[in-house]
Amino acid sequence: MFKIFWQSISYGWRKLCSRKVYLVSCVVVPILFAVFFIDLMKEGLPLKVPVSVVDQDQSSLSRRVTRNLGASELIAVTHKDESYATALARLRKGETFGFFIIPHDFQKDAISGAGTTITYYSDLSVFVPGSLAYKGFKTAAVTTAGGVVQTTLVSTGINESVAGTLLQPVVIAEQGIGNPWMNYSIYLCNSFIPGVVSLMVMLMVCFTVCEEIKNGTSVEWLRESGGSMLCAVLGKLIPQAVVFSVIGVGLQAVMFTMAHFPMNCPAWHMVLAMILLVIGSQGLALALVCAIPNLRLSTSLASLTGILAFSIAAYSFPVQSMYGAIGIFSYILPPRYYFLIYADQALNGIPLYYSRWYYVALMIFPLAGLLGLNRLKKHCLNPVYVP
Amino acid sequence: MNSVNGILGWFQSVAKVWAREFRLVFGDMGVIIFFFLLPLGYPVIYTLIYNTEVIRNLPIAVVDHSRSPESRELARMIDATSALEVYDYCTDIPAARRLSNEKKVFGILEIPADYAKKIGRGEQTQVTYYADMSLLLRYRAALGALTDVQLSLGENIRGETIDNLGIIAQSLGGNSISNDAVFTGDPTQGFASFIIPGIIVLILQQSMVLGITMIAGGVSERRRRNRGYDPMSVEAPAGATILGKTLCYLVCYIPMTLYVLHIVPMMFSLPHVGDIWHSFTFILPLLLASAMLGQFIGVFVTERESSMLVVVFTSVVFLFLSGLTWPRYAMSPFWTLVSDAVPATWGVEGFIRINSNGATLAEESHPYTMLWVLTGVYFVAAYIMRRIGFGGKKAEAHSSVGKL
Repeated sequence: MFKIFWQSISYGWRKLCSRKVYLVSCVVVPILFAVFFIDLMKEGLPLKVPVSVVDQDQSSLSRRVTRNLGASELIAVTHKDESYATALARLRKGETFGFFIIPHDFQKDAISGAGTTITYYSDLSVFVPGSLAYKGFKTAAVTTAGGVVQTTLVSTGINESVAGTLLQPVVIAEQGIGNPWMNYSIYLCNSFIPGVVSLMVMLMVCFTVCEEIKNGTSVEWLRESGGSMLCAVLGKLIPQAVVFSVIGVGLQAVMFTMAHFPMNCPAWHMVLAMILLVIGSQGLALALVCAIPNLRLSTSLASLTGILAFSIAAYSFPVQSMYGAIGIFSYILPPRYYFLIYADQALNGIPLYYSRWYYVALMIFPLAGLLGLNRLKKHCLNPVYVP
Repeated sequence: MNSVNGILGWFQSVAKVWAREFRLVFGDMGVIIFFFLLPLGYPVIYTLIYNTEVIRNLPIAVVDHSRSPESRELARMIDATSALEVYDYCTDIPAARRLSNEKKVFGILEIPADYAKKIGRGEQTQVTYYADMSLLLRYRAALGALTDVQLSLGENIRGETIDNLGIIAQSLGGNSISNDAVFTGDPTQGFASFIIPGIIVLILQQSMVLGITMIAGGVSERRRRNRGYDPMSVEAPAGATILGKTLCYLVCYIPMTLYVLHIVPMMFSLPHVGDIWHSFTFILPLLLASAMLGQFIGVFVTERESSMLVVVFTSVVFLFLSGLTWPRYAMSPFWTLVSDAVPATWGVEGFIRINSNGATLAEESHPYTMLWVLTGVYFVAAYIMRRIGFGGKKAEAHSSVGKL
């Protein structure tokens, strides 16, 4: 029994080493992707958003506002425009992500109390720089208004420190737990890199199992495993699981040690999650293969669901805010559970107890995959390739 | 006379390739899935995922150490925002953290014990909001709501204090400078309105490239099965072959483009303010460049399905390279160069500005030119590969085993 199992594993290993495309999919793609992601966003936040200022007042106050804008770390005033139209045209061309308008008679109206309005435009067709520009603009506008109020208050005889407090009587300080820098690299790498590992795991399972059927070698595959489908599948998937787990844990090591991403839990919590993610993704893919034992269809389906997983697993938009009928699909995707474990463990460092069900859920996927083995066996015994 | 015949013959072979390619496309279920079903279904699925646009009523816990009318008013104001909702009051931080650990709340507001006292004394008081950072969109929603509350609360308190001081508030011009924020491109600040216009362009490119590489894989497989001869092949010069194939893909994609770029935004009321003819004219070189890119990659593909292993994950890479999430000005020179070489980068960049910001084709002349340049570059690349017979003769030489 053990000998057959070993024979099956060595068959799976030989197959895995037989084609360059496997090496590329198992090793090169995940590593390249991780390098790309970690290096692309190494700055953390795309600060110094290019914006323009339309100063129609040209007074000492308006110039002070412009200088304040320039001093902000969020934005960089790259252009000065003379009118709304030129600033808008610039934004449409993509040279800037927003502009800030100081109206005519700004200083006069502000100081006389007649009232004036600062208007700022942020281009939210690109979310992150648009939001940063908005934040920079708003801060500048509010502090300018505050500064004028403070000067007036002091001039009416109010003590300077009281006047200062009156500008902002209540401050709500935001503390981002685990990622106070709002670092996009930490946020996105921790979800997208395991997501790609899971995608490649699924593609490899669909591809390697169905390839046996396509090439008509599935009978030989079964024979090598003593006729047991379970043994054959394990022999094929265990070598892949080992390779992917090594790569996945290696990538975790790069993220948590070399890139210094927050890791507020014992390392084994995350290592276990990665191994279970690999096995869980294999289970889901195996269920897919058992349902549709056709190379092209199952690989296509794995690609389509794998790519959708990046959205449905709610890496950017929360499941709680999705339509219920869409949101439930996130729970049939292994990357979702890995992401929840990551948020609980590495990011927030809460007790393992609260993540227990996520680990259990990842363990259920392989069982689901094994349910359809009988069906797969039939197809393996009569390999018919439908192009 | 000969040269006229030659030109005529060349056009005939273009037409032959074109007709043959149509048969290949419609005779292959896999290609039909990628060329037609994927562009039909994906935009709808993606929009449905994100269609709720914004986060509403994000549950938070309030730890009120002050227990005063002022602190209750603060909590009420926060509860009244559309983004946040007070899920529960907790006696202390550990109790609130328990709720947070159970994912019942995604933020904790801690009001200090001297909150009301300090407001009464005219001192500054600080309230702390602890935010869950697993999703930055949640943090962003909470941040916006809390800033608004902070500003309006400050205004109220300031008004009251000034009144109490006996100064006529009007003479102060307390709010002589108001500010007005305008959002272009995505006025509702919604997530679907932001991401879908970019994603649909990427879908056009990726579905086309996947479909074309699958056709190319099919050609190699037929050749292997027939000892180096593809029964579906048509004798034609390299340039005519590429042109004929491209024409076929273009014709297939005209209805899909109309649907993806025009009908999908209309169906879901996504931003769609640009002139549709500008969008179509702009997207034409994207389709051409994608067709050329697909044929260039197709040269290296020897099996119908193996291309999928390598091409699928590039969708995520291209999405990030396009600058939709991480803007291009913040990329390193190397990644900027890589993203320059991807048609979708320019397609996404130009299309979202035409579609969401109402830009004209003239204003998008740079991405438009770059798309034509890429069309040229990938045409030449595919042409050279074809002429040196990389995809054809070499594959025949190694016809016994198919390796990528």
